[in-house]
Amino acid sequence: MKFYVCIKQVPDVNAPIQIREGQLIQDASRMILNAYDASAVEEALVLTEKYGGEVEVVLIGPDKAKETIRKALAMGADKAVHIQADAGKEYDSAVYANVLAAYFKDKEYDVIACGKQAQDTDAGLAGGMLAKKLNLPYTTNAVALDVEDEELIVTRQGDSGQEVIALSTPCLVTCSNDMNDPRIPSLKGIMQSKRKPLETVELSSLDLDESDLSPKVSITGYQEKPERQAGKKFEEEPEEGAKKVAKLLDEEANVV
Amino acid sequence: MAISDGKVKRSSLEVLSYCRKLAEQHGHEAEAVIVDANASAYAEQVKRYGPSKIYLIEDPVFQAHNNTPLLKALAKVIDKSDPYLFAFASTESTKDILGALAAGQNAAVLSDVSEFELTDEGVSAKRPVMAAKILASATAKGDRIFVSVRSGSYNAEEAPADTEVVNIDFSFDESELRSTLREVISGSGDKIDLSEAETIVAAGRGVKDEEGRNLIAELASVLNAGIGASRALTEAGVYDPSLQIGQTGKVVSPQLYIAVGISGAIQHVAGMSNSKVIVAINKDPDAPIFDIADYGIVGDLYKVLPPFIEELKKIRG
Amino acid sequence: MEDERFDCIVVGAGVAGLAAAMVLARNNMKFLLIEKGEFAGAKNVSGGVLWGNDLARLVPEYWKEEEGGWERFINHRRLTFMDEQSTFSIDFKSAHFNQTPYTGVVVLRSKFDRWLADKVQEAIDASDFAMESFIAPNIKVDEVLMEHDKAVGIRTGEEKFYADSVIIAEGVNNLLTRQVGLQDDYVPADHVLTGIKEVIRYDQKVLEDRFQLNGLSGMSNEFVGYATDGVEGGGFLYTNRDTISIGLVLGLKDLRKKRKSPHDILNHFKAHPVIADTIRDGEVIEYSAHVVSSGDKRLMPRELYKDGILICGEAANLLMNAGKAIQGMDYAMRSGILAAETIVKAKEKGDYTSRTMKEYRTALDNSYVIKDMNGFQDAVHMLHSPQMYKDVPNLICDFGRKFFSIRNEPTRKSRELMSESIKKHSSYWDLVKLGIKGARSL
Ligand SMILES: Cc1cc2nc3c(=O)[nH]c(=O)nc-3n(C[C@H](O)[C@H](O)[C@H](O)COP(=O)(O)OP(=O)(O)OC[C@H]3O[C@@H](n4cnc5c(N)ncnc54)[C@H](O)[C@@H]3O)c2cc1C
Ligand SMILES: Cc1cc2nc3c(=O)[nH]c(=O)nc-3n(C[C@H](O)[C@H](O)[C@H](O)COP(=O)(O)OP(=O)(O)OC[C@H]3O[C@@H](n4cnc5c(N)ncnc54)[C@H](O)[C@@H]3O)c2cc1C
Ligand SMILES: Nc1ncnc2c1ncn2[C@@H]1O[C@H](COP(=O)(O)O)[C@@H](O)[C@H]1O
Repeated sequence: MKFYVCIKQVPDVNAPIQIREGQLIQDASRMILNAYDASAVEEALVLTEKYGGEVEVVLIGPDKAKETIRKALAMGADKAVHIQADAGKEYDSAVYANVLAAYFKDKEYDVIACGKQAQDTDAGLAGGMLAKKLNLPYTTNAVALDVEDEELIVTRQGDSGQEVIALSTPCLVTCSNDMNDPRIPSLKGIMQSKRKPLETVELSSLDLDESDLSPKVSITGYQEKPERQAGKKFEEEPEEGAKKVAKLLDEEANVV
Repeated sequence: MAISDGKVKRSSLEVLSYCRKLAEQHGHEAEAVIVDANASAYAEQVKRYGPSKIYLIEDPVFQAHNNTPLLKALAKVIDKSDPYLFAFASTESTKDILGALAAGQNAAVLSDVSEFELTDEGVSAKRPVMAAKILASATAKGDRIFVSVRSGSYNAEEAPADTEVVNIDFSFDESELRSTLREVISGSGDKIDLSEAETIVAAGRGVKDEEGRNLIAELASVLNAGIGASRALTEAGVYDPSLQIGQTGKVVSPQLYIAVGISGAIQHVAGMSNSKVIVAINKDPDAPIFDIADYGIVGDLYKVLPPFIEELKKIRG
Repeated sequence: MEDERFDCIVVGAGVAGLAAAMVLARNNMKFLLIEKGEFAGAKNVSGGVLWGNDLARLVPEYWKEEEGGWERFINHRRLTFMDEQSTFSIDFKSAHFNQTPYTGVVVLRSKFDRWLADKVQEAIDASDFAMESFIAPNIKVDEVLMEHDKAVGIRTGEEKFYADSVIIAEGVNNLLTRQVGLQDDYVPADHVLTGIKEVIRYDQKVLEDRFQLNGLSGMSNEFVGYATDGVEGGGFLYTNRDTISIGLVLGLKDLRKKRKSPHDILNHFKAHPVIADTIRDGEVIEYSAHVVSSGDKRLMPRELYKDGILICGEAANLLMNAGKAIQGMDYAMRSGILAAETIVKAKEKGDYTSRTMKEYRTALDNSYVIKDMNGFQDAVHMLHSPQMYKDVPNLICDFGRKFFSIRNEPTRKSRELMSESIKKHSSYWDLVKLGIKGARSL
């Protein structure tokens, strides 16, 4: 099967972030492969290792994002496409979906895999949007994938239970990081990654008009969340601490 | 309106209540939509929250979640009602359709907001981002705007009104489907819906064995609480995946959240930091969970839980 | 690919490894730079002032870079003695230091290392081996492969990679240096210190006003005395762009003996009235701890080279901490440069044996690194004597308090005040001894 995996470079949410005058100041050097996309790459690799096929990754982003593409190649993806985007521009999920749709329009594939959401914005929209634009059957929040004949078998996590869905290919799926632990590239993988084909695509070469590239949603600013204060901490004998907290929950917090 | 276990979800009622207020302030109407195999059965309950209209789409195909018919149904409602703003409770089912529905309708969409407001140009909202470490203010422009709202963001308040109930015809030809639902594996999890629970007892990697799980179960039963878990335990198959709380799992906002043997990684905290009162039990005094806990007990959970449970039993009589 | 051979494999992308890699890339060598952290700098929590101007050798005119990896240049230095209530500082600020190349820049390692790694990547891209040389993060080297007591490559997990030479730049926890037999396994705790550091954030304007910073100028401040709560060591405070780095370096053995935790001592330091006032209203955004070498020469590996191997940076225990500053990064940088230059020569000669590797040692011996380490050993030992972190600072502050108090009483001569303070905190004899030692050591 031919898999395309859409990958995004995101800031590492574990890195310190600052807000200055409503703007986000991040350590620009700590950009990583979106964890959900890493799971999608991993799953595509596992399936093609098992059933044969090819994995190609697609990323829209500035030049700096090449590093993230290399990471996916080092994991084992066969090829990559870098759709160049202006570093300064802020896009929403819809714009990314429009660009991806324009790119995929004349491509052949069995499965497009996305992450269930970008780890930084948690929007979780681009996958569904892209499926609609390409008129593909799709499902989201996959926790397991398999292939049967020409179908992709997806187990998705719903609100309470899990649903097992067979999608006829070509199709689109968005992946949860609960489906696997993405491999860490081996040194050989890293070395090979440099020699793998990496195609660069200019945004202007795609069939897109002004409105496709204009976000409908824009971020006007950031603010700190009202921080929770650390409350009372009991470090004495467990028995004592337990009793005290139980009492406080009753008498002070009124929640039991 | 999201339905689960034969009830309308509180999170949907929260959104409806808030939309009703917004509509009142701005001179609009707030209408509700129920798409379910038994949609009409829920109309009475929804009426109490004061929508001017309720659209019902009833079809056996909605017995289980399936995005293709649901998208079709919602597109029909949109045709009929032509809403400016379409608001959802942010459930897994919503997440499954929101992007595609918005793309189909050419709508602007703000997902997973914690508050939103109508403005002259559109909608402004606050969304937690960066694993809920910070809040982003965002605006959406356009003639059609979708929002999905985190549970617990608003209060569900009854406000009965004269509500008109409108049935929308719906039929669905299975042959349209390019996807088939093969099986629904219902969660072996607790029956208490975490996103609605008043009290949650959550277990983490510190809960190592059956004895630990029994203690968790006992504590939950004393407090009539839902049981949740960190990814460390859902991933290991110890608890049902639907019980995972955090960035990948559920966002909860109970009155009381008791984190047992959970370190407090930001991706976990992203799902529970809006709890009213947080209790942490952890043997590591430097565990980050203590930074956000109102009450922290430093100690081995196997030693802390038994007296804690005893004491709570006494208190609750 | 199995038979692909590198000129050199550099283990560790800290300051030493990055410096070596830069020189290798510039000289068209085919090499691998391997780092076990997720990226260069990921594991490097230390940081502080990078002294000297070797950085300008590696990245010419680095100060012109907009997205430079450094925080501020130092034009203001301060050494502070403290007792329970007071501080007495020697303070030096000079416009001379505003000129490039700067004499020192403050860095935050995770950012700095990552930036320097990007620069190395650029150098690789411009080299003859753009497609064959690599920076490989997230890979831990488990073993240096030896054949006939000569290094031939490295092993990571199941994979083996071969090279004519290996530069070990693995930092203070030098397991590979020990594995190849250049250092004993057992390192006495007496010789090891632990460094802890917090990064505290301010509004940039507030920070600049409070520390009288102008543009990107910065201050470094070292502390002796009350800061360490009676434990051997010292404190530091450096200004970054909109944060400060504040921390302590503490003797491990003394900590154990006194049963104190570094974290508690840092809180004790931060609670000192003068410090509390200086750092007020900030938000702690990072806390980290790391072992630091004491700079005691007795701790250096037996030798810094072997057939096909060079050891540099803190793996070789190159570090100086004689009270006026910690110098570890500049030593790491210089030794990395010299190590790589030696490899370049070895390739020219086609000889990677000790005969050529020895030239690294000679170059290092002739550089300020070993000269200073030799010259200031006594100062290092003195700094670790109990008087230095207790009696002397107390005495100086006591004197300061008397000297600077104006009480509407006949003013006493400072000589008298001094001798009174000395009597209170130490004996003349001790001080004389210390004075002689000190005079000799500096
Ligand atoms: C993209 C992404 C999404 C993620 N989404 C989620 C998510 O939705 N939900 C989630 O939970 N995680 C999520 N994670 C994982 C998260 O980062 C942590 O790895 C996870 O939350 C750790 O679970 P834990 O706290 O149970 O385990 P640990 O971090 O291992 O902590 C166990 C704690 O138990 C304590 N302990 C051990 N024994 C005892 C004892 N006997 N008594 C008392 N205390 C004890 C220990 O001191 C420790 O603090 C996500 C990660 C990524 C990258
Ligand atoms: C709190 C504190 C404050 C300090 N302040 C200053 C200061 O102000 N000025 C100053 O000059 N110095 C300071 N130092 C000292 C300075 O940080 C060190 O001397 C310097 O970092 C040494 O550089 P290095 O490249 O030799 O080692 P490191 O910077 O430690 O780099 C070694 C690298 O090797 C990697 N590595 C190790 N083993 C392996 C392996 N097996 N496989 C792959 N990778 C491996 C590590 O992950 C690491 O990235 C301070 C230290 C501390 C702890
Ligand atoms: N810039 C991008 N390049 C490639 N894929 C993207 C990009 N942005 C989003 N995606 C894909 O869409 C998913 C969901 O993104 P989002 O809707 O932003 O949460 C991601 O996990 C990716 O698979």
